[in-house]
Amino acid sequence: MKDEFPSERSLEHPIIWVAVITGALGSIILLNAVAWLAFPLVLAIVLYYLVQPLLQRLQLSGITPNQALGIFLGAATILTLIASVTILPALFNSLADLQNQLPEYWARLQSVLHNNLLAIEGRFHFAKKAGLADGLQGQIDHFVAGSGKAYLADSILFLVHWLPSLLLVPFLTFFFLRDGTAFHRLILRAVPNAFFEKTLLLFDRMDGQMRAYFRGMFGLTLLDTVSLGLGLWFLGHGPGVFGFWDAMFLGLICAVFAWVPYVGSALGGLVAVATCAVKAPNEGGLLVSVVLLFLGVRLLDEFVYTPMTVGRALRMHPLITVMMIFSGGMLGGVYGLLLAMPLIGIFMVLGQMFGEVWFDPRLRARQQARNLLEKRLASKDLEL
Amino acid sequence: MFRECTRTELEALRLHLHERKFLAGEIVFDEGEQGEGMYVVISGKLRATRKGLLKKKTLGYIAVGECFGEMALLEAGPRVATVVAEEATTVLAMFRPELVQLAESRPRLGYKIARGVALVMEARLRRIAEGQPEEVAAT
Repeated sequence: MKDEFPSERSLEHPIIWVAVITGALGSIILLNAVAWLAFPLVLAIVLYYLVQPLLQRLQLSGITPNQALGIFLGAATILTLIASVTILPALFNSLADLQNQLPEYWARLQSVLHNNLLAIEGRFHFAKKAGLADGLQGQIDHFVAGSGKAYLADSILFLVHWLPSLLLVPFLTFFFLRDGTAFHRLILRAVPNAFFEKTLLLFDRMDGQMRAYFRGMFGLTLLDTVSLGLGLWFLGHGPGVFGFWDAMFLGLICAVFAWVPYVGSALGGLVAVATCAVKAPNEGGLLVSVVLLFLGVRLLDEFVYTPMTVGRALRMHPLITVMMIFSGGMLGGVYGLLLAMPLIGIFMVLGQMFGEVWFDPRLRARQQARNLLEKRLASKDLEL
Repeated sequence: MFRECTRTELEALRLHLHERKFLAGEIVFDEGEQGEGMYVVISGKLRATRKGLLKKKTLGYIAVGECFGEMALLEAGPRVATVVAEEATTVLAMFRPELVQLAESRPRLGYKIARGVALVMEARLRRIAEGQPEEVAAT
């Protein structure tokens, strides 16, 4: 990418840095408070940036923006209907199968954990003394019998609460696509003359970088899904652990986890290893291969995929990244984990804009001169 | 500049034009500042000046219907003059990033505007070549 997401040049001022971090963390708290609205809003913004280039391509063929939007909506509706008829029944069948198999998987996972802890106890005396295997088993039994049910009920209630808000996503996306330019003009109308040209340029840069970021993330998720899915299928189809689509689905889950830098990738790896351990508890070699596959894809991600897709967007010191992710998680739970990085990216660009505009002495002088002219004009006929 | 555009094209263009109001004495842009777009005067009058050795030199006045700063629509570069509103003035501003976006979605309209800019610049160059007084080509 030509321009990095935040220009370090204009982020030198310490006040800007404090404002960027405070703004990002404050927004996480605010968005968490209105999560039912924030989640569809963020999804709609992402969809807007993904769909907009498609509409531009349609417009290139000579049709008007409204016609392009109509064609896209029509196609999207037809595809949704087809998907509802074909994919949804298969998905529900898979979910029903999973529900039937879940007790068996759960028992296997516990057994794998218990056996490994027993092995640790066999090697380390202190672990045996602490009763690691029995202790953990007791904790799990206690959790399942007691608060586990309450957690499950809470989770289901949570899903029932926010799932309807997803209906807002197409609604919001439609208006972003249709009236995006008008909103843009409305916001710019409030910018004083002195700062107008520079603000417009920075807005355009921010828009371009956001578009590149979201499209890059989409591409990165696709590449990660295919690499991990193919790798898992290649490793797992021999022992009969994974079918093609199972492997791809697991790859997708891990790729989505990877949206949260560092922490997400590790969590995705754990999920894949746990799945292998549950499905083939006696295949030790497979577990090692899956770990190696994850390390390999991680390296590919870092050195090939990310520079190809997201570029150097949101590149910041790993310490700040991890601190922001954990702070986000602490303040906003899952939303905070997912939104911490995009939010700090947005606030860095806003900080850059503010820094470039506000700390330009000539522009500020011009604004002050305008204020003076306004004051003179307003008091022209008054004898003060 | 927009005379070759159809009504539908002008309607599309309207979304990319920004109306700005300047008070008498207010600076529209400074000499040396990075230029990002051009302006068309809707009402009022403006003066273009350039720094001289001792004092500012007036290049000329810009009246209703005229445009200025058009070179910035083609390429970002420093403005060669300062433009100040002589009286309360309303202008329509159009910026390069938005023109690029418009040209990508409506290439025909983009071509017409680029041609319009080229014609304005051609007329200015011709006047200079014919030895007429220096014209306002503030970019």
